[in-house]
Amino acid sequence: MLGSAGTLLSTGRARAQQGDLTAQRVVDRIRANAGVPWRDTTVDGFKAGDPATVVTGVATTVMATLDVLRRAVAARQNLVITQEPTFYSANDDPGNRAADPVYRAKKAFIDEQRLVVWRFADHWNARQPNESATALAAALGWTRNRLPDSEQVYQLPQTTLGALITHVRTKLGLQGGLRTIGKPDMRVRTVFINTGSTAVASTVLNLRRADVVLTGEPREWEAVPYVLDTWSADLGKGLIAVGRNVSETPGMQACATWIRSFVPEVPVVHIATADPYWSVGS
Amino acid sequence: MTAQDIVGRIQKRLQEQGIAWRAQTVDTFKAGAPETEVKGIATTGMATFDLLRRAATAGKNFVITHEPTFYNHTDQTTGLEHDPTYEAKQRFIRDHNIVIFRFHDHAHALRPDPLVAGSARMLGWTQYASPTEPRLYVLPATTLRALAADVVRRLNGRAIRVVGDPDMAVSRISLGPGYGVPPLTAGVDVSVGGESSEAGGNAEYVADAAAQGQKKGMILLGHMLSEDFGMKEVADWLRPFLPDVPIEWISTGEPFASSR
Repeated sequence: MLGSAGTLLSTGRARAQQGDLTAQRVVDRIRANAGVPWRDTTVDGFKAGDPATVVTGVATTVMATLDVLRRAVAARQNLVITQEPTFYSANDDPGNRAADPVYRAKKAFIDEQRLVVWRFADHWNARQPNESATALAAALGWTRNRLPDSEQVYQLPQTTLGALITHVRTKLGLQGGLRTIGKPDMRVRTVFINTGSTAVASTVLNLRRADVVLTGEPREWEAVPYVLDTWSADLGKGLIAVGRNVSETPGMQACATWIRSFVPEVPVVHIATADPYWSVGS
Repeated sequence: MTAQDIVGRIQKRLQEQGIAWRAQTVDTFKAGAPETEVKGIATTGMATFDLLRRAATAGKNFVITHEPTFYNHTDQTTGLEHDPTYEAKQRFIRDHNIVIFRFHDHAHALRPDPLVAGSARMLGWTQYASPTEPRLYVLPATTLRALAADVVRRLNGRAIRVVGDPDMAVSRISLGPGYGVPPLTAGVDVSVGGESSEAGGNAEYVADAAAQGQKKGMILLGHMLSEDFGMKEVADWLRPFLPDVPIEWISTGEPFASSR
């Protein structure tokens, strides 16, 4: 199957003509519109497929799982823009999994369907104000609550940590991926939003004014023990961790809207991935 | 006996076991004076503020911790200087004459790795250890749902997360400590570990395997629940060559609240 994929690629595709919208052209427009200097060293780039492929549709997603790729193919979106890796490692090098059947089947599907996968993480995250945090706040209904002198701190009508957790769980469709620190009756006015992981330095800094940090997957030797220790120091702060996929999903939805504004020729859609976790008793 | 004397004994014992002390290591004093007279030793997964309070109450002024004290791998305190939580923790350490030493790199160098062996013992898997493959445990066939329920019950976890079909058949389990969650491969049904990124690893592999009709699973215990019990093994390892000092394993415990 893998052997025949190359043949399909060379014979089955019409060569891109002058003026065709190729994957490379879409990426060139993203670079031109990103508003941030393009880095020499970056994870952003083509991870699979031929950049000269003529694009019939664009799908953005947090993670290009095989399920996402199949949904993209079914809707004729042959350029998949993913925030996270595709091949189970930070740099998309399959490493020891090069001969693994799960990896090989995924790679074969991409080749057979002539998909193009492009990663967009470093430069998406570099946009100011942070697109991912802004979109997560919007998903929670907080767009108008951002403190004017802060990028990612939101002031809410006074609530409790318990009520806030319920709101986040419901709005984001969380299953087993929700984890928290803090007492449910703790009073909350301000929330610092940081999607993905959470650097301990920015957590410490922003928790000086925020009561709670809302994040994806905080490192459990960094932000997690810091927030835990605030309770021993009688300064009790809250932490709500929703998982990486869930925290970044509204951002990649916003990314599709953004790309649509400068790629009008083809449909640009977002394909959602769900909370991957379940927990005992949930 | 001082904290420095005890570290000297640890280094000597490691040497006897064929483990040379590394030039580059995070295993250093993190707080307190090494020449402090030790009244008792507490081993633990992480020197959280709460743990330090309980150690002080138990009369243990030398804390041997597997994970950092000041919220990053190398215990850099730059940027924390005027943080009220950090200041309160440092004040408590000073006021109670506590010495903190990290035992991470050299603990993982012991064979078997006590951080894995301790979790396996708590989980009741010791007898199922593969004689040939490190970290592999071959359990009597069960389901992922039943396995996860048993794990939660034995570790008393409040934030244990599972990926994979709950009804999948499970027997071959790879167990890793902390951030070292074993990569899923063709020969492993379920990977069990502490914490790992959802991106670029097992979570995506499980989803892709499922899309191909292959059943794989992962159980994330949380970093602390995956290594806390290993420090009990370290306490047992210390006692024979430190017979004149009271040694107690004090559990750091689950950091997360129940969110259900």
